[in-house]
Amino acid sequence: MEIDVKEYKRVSVITVTGRIDSATSSEFEQELNELTEAGRVNLVLDLSAVEFISSAGLRVLVTTRKAVKSAGGDVVLAKPSDQVIETLEIAGLDVLFDKFPNREAAVASF
Amino acid sequence: MAGRTLTIQAYLDQIQNVRDLVSLAAADAGFDDSENYAVQLAVSEACENIILHGYGQENDSPITVSAQPKPGVLEIELLDHAPPFNPARSPRQPEWSNEDPPIGGLGLIIIHRVMDKIDYARDGDHNRLRMQKRGASAQT
Repeated sequence: MEIDVKEYKRVSVITVTGRIDSATSSEFEQELNELTEAGRVNLVLDLSAVEFISSAGLRVLVTTRKAVKSAGGDVVLAKPSDQVIETLEIAGLDVLFDKFPNREAAVASF
Repeated sequence: MAGRTLTIQAYLDQIQNVRDLVSLAAADAGFDDSENYAVQLAVSEACENIILHGYGQENDSPITVSAQPKPGVLEIELLDHAPPFNPARSPRQPEWSNEDPPIGGLGLIIIHRVMDKIDYARDGDHNRLRMQKRGASAQT
């Protein structure tokens, strides 16, 4: 798994490549925690290159969403891969996250 | 169709090897990409539960995975030596709101939503979990 973070004036864009599973989710969680603790609460997750995400990855998404929502922010998804959408739908959590066809549209949503 | 078997040690980074085996067996069963991914996800969740809740931590203990494809059907068996742990019981799925979505128990929910049949048996000092997934192409 690789994580790239780009910070804009009001929004942070986090691009994840590879697998978000129980072996890698703690690194993903730490990266997102550092952003939220620094007050970055408008988050765009570009998950277009995520080839696998398990419940461990979903837990990070849900806990991050809760943290940023309580601070007036949100987490939205830019072009989530078919695998991300399938895991979210199986778990019944797809309704929690707004999805956009590309990162520009996702950034513009804030 | 030939079955596939793999034994891993109970480390989270070993689960990818299980997914690779399941993917090959799912392809042998004629599953489409979505079905293939779903069954990889469910088996992955079951392995994670064995490591974190069965064995209680990562260690050298074995998990043996057997995958038997048939036309449109994939049968998976997981064997471990952990204390008795039965994932075949239906998970509790309480009502939740968007403000308070679930964090725990997602793995079991995924397993039960993906797999069509789940059987657990305590066999001597083993846990034996048998799961079956029927693809859209399965004969009725």
